[in-house]
This record gives sequence, structure tokens and C-alpha cells, in this order.
Amino acid sequence: MREKLEPVMREKLHIYLCVLCVLLAVTLGRGVPLLFSAGLPQVPGEDVLQLILGDARQELSAVMLEKAEEYFHGGQRDVDCEYGLESCEAHDHEAHDHEGEHAEKPGSEAKPHDVWAWIDRHIHAQEHRHLEGDQTVELLPWIWAACRASPQNVQAFQTGSYVLAKMARRPEEGVRLLEEGVRANPNDAGLAFSLGELWLITLKDAERAEPWFISAYEKCRPADGPEGEAAQLLKVRTLFYLGYLAKRRGDVARVRACLAEAEALSPGHASVRDLRRLLEK
Amino acid sequence: MKILFRQLSALAGLSVLELYRRKDLIVVLVFSLVILLPLAFFTPFGVSGASRYMNELALLLVWLFSAVIGLGVSSRLFPPEFESRTLYPLLAKPVGRGPLLVGKYLGALAASVSALAVFYVAYGLLVGIRQGVWFPAIFFQAFVLHTGFMVVVTALGLLGSLVLTPAANLTMCGLLVAGMLLFGQRLPALIAAQPAPGKWVLAAIHWVGPHLEFFDLRQRVIHDWPRVSWGVCVAVSAYALCYAAACLTLAGCVFRRKKI
Repeated sequence: MREKLEPVMREKLHIYLCVLCVLLAVTLGRGVPLLFSAGLPQVPGEDVLQLILGDARQELSAVMLEKAEEYFHGGQRDVDCEYGLESCEAHDHEAHDHEGEHAEKPGSEAKPHDVWAWIDRHIHAQEHRHLEGDQTVELLPWIWAACRASPQNVQAFQTGSYVLAKMARRPEEGVRLLEEGVRANPNDAGLAFSLGELWLITLKDAERAEPWFISAYEKCRPADGPEGEAAQLLKVRTLFYLGYLAKRRGDVARVRACLAEAEALSPGHASVRDLRRLLEK
Repeated sequence: MKILFRQLSALAGLSVLELYRRKDLIVVLVFSLVILLPLAFFTPFGVSGASRYMNELALLLVWLFSAVIGLGVSSRLFPPEFESRTLYPLLAKPVGRGPLLVGKYLGALAASVSALAVFYVAYGLLVGIRQGVWFPAIFFQAFVLHTGFMVVVTALGLLGSLVLTPAANLTMCGLLVAGMLLFGQRLPALIAAQPAPGKWVLAAIHWVGPHLEFFDLRQRVIHDWPRVSWGVCVAVSAYALCYAAACLTLAGCVFRRKKI
């Protein structure tokens, strides 16, 4: 009897010891960093994704954004289309004629004797189409993934806010996303500009928009030469909105100052013409 | 004829039993559930209603696991029999090399297609519960064409099992499957863009290689494109059968010449 009991008792002892060790490990794992936070050799680092992927995060984020673009075009890749997510110009179908745009994929014309290409053209859809209305929520998981994969991917935040505000008709979520982008990229003028536009044009709140345009103006420092062209254009557009908001307040001097600065940067730009028209009114 | 049928069904049954005895299918289903279930409750930016990303991931897993199971089952058809010498009693009984080859192939195919059916039923249930769309016509077309994919892949795996070691067979077939699925559609464009020697190699692959991308209807299923015409489906299925027959004929020649 005693011989039969001993293996059973030994097994129970092993189980209890195992559970005790696990509990002790968990307790120490949680307790040691709290008790000895100043004395530990490690320093708080970046998150797990940064540790594993490093700079590849940006590439992964770009891939996620391309996936969203693919979904926008009905599952088609490398689409030669004037309207896409990355240019934030997803358009209303009724407003445009798509006879020429929804063309087949370039290079998809099969040679007459190529039976395999003929089969492929009938199996896989060759034309593309755009997501509309409620379907646009299908883009959100990929945009979410693009933003999380790399918070430094400014394009992901801008595209995401456009999809949320204009396509999914959730401008408040768009604002939240852009604010998150600004926190992750405090020196980026484009995100501040996008937030200003969202407040002003979509949410019709000029008071909340103006600080963002001012922030964009301060952050925008165009470099000399062709590299600074994009930043220059952004600054001109920011000056237009600042001038527009100044005009609403009746601050004509401010409008003139914005116009003068915009003319110095890019005299032929449409925003400069619009600023002149504001002064003439 | 009856004896041949009995021999074939006995050989085929062994492969099916082996697959389910190894519990590979259960592991794969559990693994898929672990990946897909958390995603089912995911609401990006607090917005619910997105389902295509889940469909894409689910179908990707179905294709990945079906290819692994198909290649895994077919690549293990002959090497263990040669190593453990269990082939001799089989051939000593009145089972010719031809019926043995066909029986093994049918067994591997039956095992792979049964696993595929389980995957598709699970996928259909997932889509039905989430989206309220229950087994549309495009779904059946996708299953039929995917079966064609298994017909070709199993034949390739069986041919490789007679010529290569299991590891080499799995690697070569895996690369071929992945390569054709990813780049098969772009081959004509690649051929047009390449200079002379590369152009001929790509052209040879385009004309002789297995066009596994013909069986891939995921884009249509995920993005709600209309179904393919049934005539094209029949043509692609005929292509699968002819390609598999060619592989089996080649395998038969190799097996006949093989010194046991």
C-alpha cells in the first residue's frame, strides 16, 4: 500500500513545486522592476515591433498602405488610375466619366496565340473599380495596420484621416487619428495642415482650425532648391488658409502679409490667385 | 476491372487514413482558429463591418495549408516505402507498378481534397456567420478550381517523390508552387521586358510550367467580383487533369525504370 502511495505523492509534490515556481517567477518578474527601478541595468526601450523590425517598420507600413490602395481598386495591384488613396483623391463615380479610366491593366492584352494569357484574362478580373459608401470600411484595417506598423509613416495618417472623414463619414475619428499622428511626428507640418483642413472644411470649425494652420506654418521650413519644392507648396497653401481665416475676422493687413509671403514663395500658384481675390472682395 | 478497382480503393484508403491518423488537420484547424478568432472581434478606429481582410487572411491560410498538406502527403508516398522495403510485399501481390502508382496518387488526392473540403466548409461557415452570405456560387467555383490545384500539386509531388529526396522534393515543389502563384500572371510582361537568354527561360516556364495561378479565385471571392463563366472553369479543370496525367505518365516511366 505504502509502495503504491509513494509515486502518487511524488507526482503531487512535483506538481505543487512546479506551480510554486511559476508563481514565484511571475511575482518576481512583476515585483523586481517596481522595487529596483533605479538600480536595474536595462533602460526602457522602444516597443517590440521596433526591436524586431527596426527600419523595416517603414517598409511594412508602406506595404499595408499599398494593400489599402489595392482594396480601394477592387483587389487590383499596380493600377494606372488618376484617382487613388495616396493622392487622397477618391472621387464620386457619378461626377466623372470612367470610360477611359477603368481600362484594363497595362500589359494585359494577350497575344493571339497565347492561350495561357487568354485563360488568365478570364479567370482574374482585368478591370478595376473603386470602393464606395459603406464599402470603404474595408480599407480601415489596412490603414490601421499601416499607422501601427510605423507611426513615422505620415502618409498613412493622412490617408487614414481622409478615408475616415470623407469616405466613412466619421470626421471625429479622422481628427483623432491625425492628432495621434501629430504626437508621433511633432515636427511634421503636413499633419498639422491636414488637421487644420479637416476642422475647417469638413467640421466647419474655423476657431479650432486656425491654431493648426499656425502650427503648420511654423513647422514648415522649405529647403532651398528642388528638394524644398513640396514644403514650399505646403507653405503657400497654409498661407492661403491663414489669409482666408484672417479675412473672416476682418484682418485685412494679415491677408496682405500672407499674400506677400505667398507671392515670394510661388507667384503662379492657384492659392496666390485665390488670396488676391480675397483681398479684392 | 473489379480487382483493379479494389486494389486502387485499398491503396487510396491507406493515404486518407494516414492523413487523419497523423492529426495534421486538427492542428491546422486549431492554428487557424487561434489566428482568425481574435481578428473576428477587431474594430479598427471603432468602426465595425470590415470583413474582406478576414476573408483574405482565411483564404490565404486555406491555400497555404492545403498546399502544405498536398505536398506533404504526396512527397511521403514512395520514399518511406523504399526505405522500409514495404514496397516489395505490395509488388509481390498482384499489384502492378501502374496500379500502385495510380492508387497512391488517388489516395494522396483524396486525402488532400478531403482536407480542402473541411477548410472550405469552415471558411463558408465563418463567412456565413459574419456576413450572412451562405455559400454563394463563386464559392463553389473557387472550391472546384482549388481542387484542380490539388490535382496538379499532388501529381507534381508524386513525380518528385520518385526522383528526389523528400526534403528536396518539398523544397522544389514549394518554390514552384509559390513562384507560379506569385509571378505566373506576370510572365508575359516579364518575357516582353527581358533580353535574350532570360526571355527564353521565362518563355519555357510560361509554356511548360504548371500555371497554378489559373486555379486562384481569391481575388474574385474576397472583392465580390462576378463568377467566372462555367466554360472557362471546365477548360481550366481539363488543363489540371491533362497536366496531372502528364506528370503521372512521367512518374510511371520513372517508376518502371527504377531498380527496386
